[in-house]
Amino acid sequence: MDYTNKLHIIYGDAALGVQTKKFQYIFSYEKGGLESLKINNKEWLYRIPTPTFWRATTDNDRGNGFSVKAAQWLGADMFSQCSKIHLTVDDQKFDPLPIAPFNNQFSNHEYANLVKISFDYKTTTTPATICTITYVIDSSGHATIKMRYMGKKGLPSLPVLGMRFIMPTMATGFEYYGLSSETYPDRKAGAKKGVFRVKGLPVTKYLVPQENGMHMDTDKLIITRNTSLNNADRDTNDFQLEINKTDKPLNFSCLPYTAEEL
Amino acid sequence: MKANIRWLDDPETFRVNQIAAHSDHLYFKNYEEWEQKRSSFIQSLDGKWQFKFSNNPQTRPLDFYKTNFDASDFDFIPVPSEIELNNYAQNQYINTLYPWEGKIFRRPAYSLGQKTDRSFSEGEDNTVGSYIKHFDLDNSFQGKYVHVFFEGVERAMFVWLNGHFIGYGEDSFTPSEFDLTPYLKEKNNILAVQVFKHSTASFLEDQDMFRFSGIFRSVKLLAFPETHLMDLALKPTITNDYHDGIFNAKLSFTGTKDGYVRLKIKDINGQTLLDEEHNLTSTITIENKLLENIHLWDNHHPYLYQLFIEVQDSNKNLIELDSYKFGFREIKITDDKVVLLNGKRLIINGVNRHEWNMNSGRTITKQDMKADIQTFKRNNINAVRTCHYPNQIPWYYLCDQNGIYVMAENNLESHGTWQKMGEVEPSYNVPGSLAKWRNVVIDRARSNYETLKNHTSILFWSLGNESYAGENLIAMNQFYKSHDDTRLTHYEGVVHTPDLKNKISDLESYMYLPPKEAEKYLKNNPSKPFLECEYMHDMGNSDGGMKSYIKLIDEYPQYLGGFIWDFIDQALLTYDPISGKKALRYGGDFDDRHSDYEFSGDGLMFADRTEKPAMQEVKYYYGLHK
Repeated sequence: MDYTNKLHIIYGDAALGVQTKKFQYIFSYEKGGLESLKINNKEWLYRIPTPTFWRATTDNDRGNGFSVKAAQWLGADMFSQCSKIHLTVDDQKFDPLPIAPFNNQFSNHEYANLVKISFDYKTTTTPATICTITYVIDSSGHATIKMRYMGKKGLPSLPVLGMRFIMPTMATGFEYYGLSSETYPDRKAGAKKGVFRVKGLPVTKYLVPQENGMHMDTDKLIITRNTSLNNADRDTNDFQLEINKTDKPLNFSCLPYTAEEL
Repeated sequence: MKANIRWLDDPETFRVNQIAAHSDHLYFKNYEEWEQKRSSFIQSLDGKWQFKFSNNPQTRPLDFYKTNFDASDFDFIPVPSEIELNNYAQNQYINTLYPWEGKIFRRPAYSLGQKTDRSFSEGEDNTVGSYIKHFDLDNSFQGKYVHVFFEGVERAMFVWLNGHFIGYGEDSFTPSEFDLTPYLKEKNNILAVQVFKHSTASFLEDQDMFRFSGIFRSVKLLAFPETHLMDLALKPTITNDYHDGIFNAKLSFTGTKDGYVRLKIKDINGQTLLDEEHNLTSTITIENKLLENIHLWDNHHPYLYQLFIEVQDSNKNLIELDSYKFGFREIKITDDKVVLLNGKRLIINGVNRHEWNMNSGRTITKQDMKADIQTFKRNNINAVRTCHYPNQIPWYYLCDQNGIYVMAENNLESHGTWQKMGEVEPSYNVPGSLAKWRNVVIDRARSNYETLKNHTSILFWSLGNESYAGENLIAMNQFYKSHDDTRLTHYEGVVHTPDLKNKISDLESYMYLPPKEAEKYLKNNPSKPFLECEYMHDMGNSDGGMKSYIKLIDEYPQYLGGFIWDFIDQALLTYDPISGKKALRYGGDFDDRHSDYEFSGDGLMFADRTEKPAMQEVKYYYGLHK
């Protein structure tokens, strides 16, 4: 609440709510992930963010048969589900999750300094492995996101590893501090480091639609939108989501399509 | 008396100064009005009302009901309509969880031994609509008793007239009626209504649907002549091996008791079967009138008789003409637990139906209703469960006229209080066995019964949906049993408390029970007839394997049939900026969280009222046992 510097915690029956004046998070135990991320009352998520293991097949992939060899990661990208949730609020670890009747002891006035919630996603590969996404919300309301992937012997090479965030409406553009143009781990020597502003969500015009738009070694990303799906929201001003690197730079693409759609 | 916003927090306060529920008979000044279907005793208040939206109770206008209030900053809103679909508030679709999941922590008052709190009267999510309507009385209303009649308001409302507090009502889906007479003027009356999205009633209205608020059904004024038939209770029964009928009726009058009452029953050819005169008294009882060689009412031949009640003054001048169309039909359970309608086995080829229009939500029109009846007829659908609330009154008249068997369900679902994460967890269930939550649910049963009791099409009273079971559901069942021996009661939620099955529901009702499980029950000396109150969940591209249910009809006479879930997708027609076209949108498409997303689209019909491809399968299987 406004008068505290703490997080307001709502121990729901199928979700955990974490709120400050500016940020509102809903972590859904049913959906197995972050269902709602609202900043200044603007929703940033259309569906829960999930691990992503697939990138759109490139012409070279087709040529060398990589996408055939790695095909089970396409299934894992689309269908892997949350298998376990770990929740800690301040020093209290909740196992099992604090749902009814356990949460009957709480009230609408529960506060904390730190929430840590992890979602294990079990891949639909053979053999299966676990990929864990952890959200740590500090008392300022900012979230630190960590992802941990446990490889497994016998699995084909990973086409990509990351997280996919689907926004409710199109971004008008994004700004980042990182490398110029489109870069990849093996194709970034020619890039210049700097702040770049991109209008809209451009798709590189390769003849056959394929993986595109990657930006390596990024320190900071700011995505701008000016529309929402909330039918009662008539505000058309810009609003932004800011993503910063933690210990290492991050790589991202910001596209109007998923890998499967490309 | 003064309005008290704390009523929102109190499950024991659900109606203040409301007129007791009564029958929905039509009344006119004379036969000419009846022929034209226009009563000069009714004045519609539908249309543009002044409106102010507030995000929460703290910011609502406090003095807006006063006659000197300056409403120049109010907007206009159509009545009836949903506040959300006028884009004042966010659309939200959610199934079993409460709409405040993950946002506000709430428990129903008294459910865990605690007292009432201010969770709703100070609720951050409790949006408020303040409505003002200026009206002059029709000439025909001058000097008469006048009531205001709200057919449906979600979810709690306070009413004022000309600055005076009139009353308070909950139960979104049954009429709320108040006496305006003491404060009425001929000209420029100011009716003020404040509608709250949430109250303790929200715990009882957790239906799987878009959560709207507002005055979403019609509002009208009712004028009463010096004598008025306030309530009519018909009881037509059948005798002599289904050849003859016995007519019973109880008429209750208000106003002057100096005059006469003439009662006539006519068949569809205008032949008079009964014609009798009584001296006017408060209550007139017509007992055991034998009507020979009657036509029975059923799906194939929905034969209705015309009842007229002429209210006359002491000079035998007609002052009010009341009209009802009723049929003769009999539903009973045999010793072998087979349900018979008019002596023949009844088979329910049914659908669950939410009231829905892709543009206006639960504000639907008579055209929508007529289209749905035509769809029923075209596809051999013979029954409807009014899931999970009483429907608009004209719907029941259409079902009478078209022979549609109705399971008339109360406005009750408390799903989120007893089922969480798919598990049965009733620690804070309401109504349960909590004394403080008893009267409110019995009132819902009473309003449903008293309003709709004369509709021939209603064969079953359904206590509600997915609310678990305890003493209060037993009390609701008892209410129907003590008021109506011509219909059966239904409730599915007692499956979780099997010890109560002998006290709740005449039917063994399940939802989505696999055919093999149903067969186990049917094979094993069933103690009640068996019904699937929901089955063939028709979400998206679905509805396969219907044969496995339909063949139970041939194999087990105790299998009554079922109601498909459900009739029409709940989706909203919305402008899509990407394609530049209008597109149907569902849960989650309005930034609404938590949502249950595409679960809102389970219909045999798309939301635009076109049939899904699966409908031909329904038509085929439901055609096998027409």
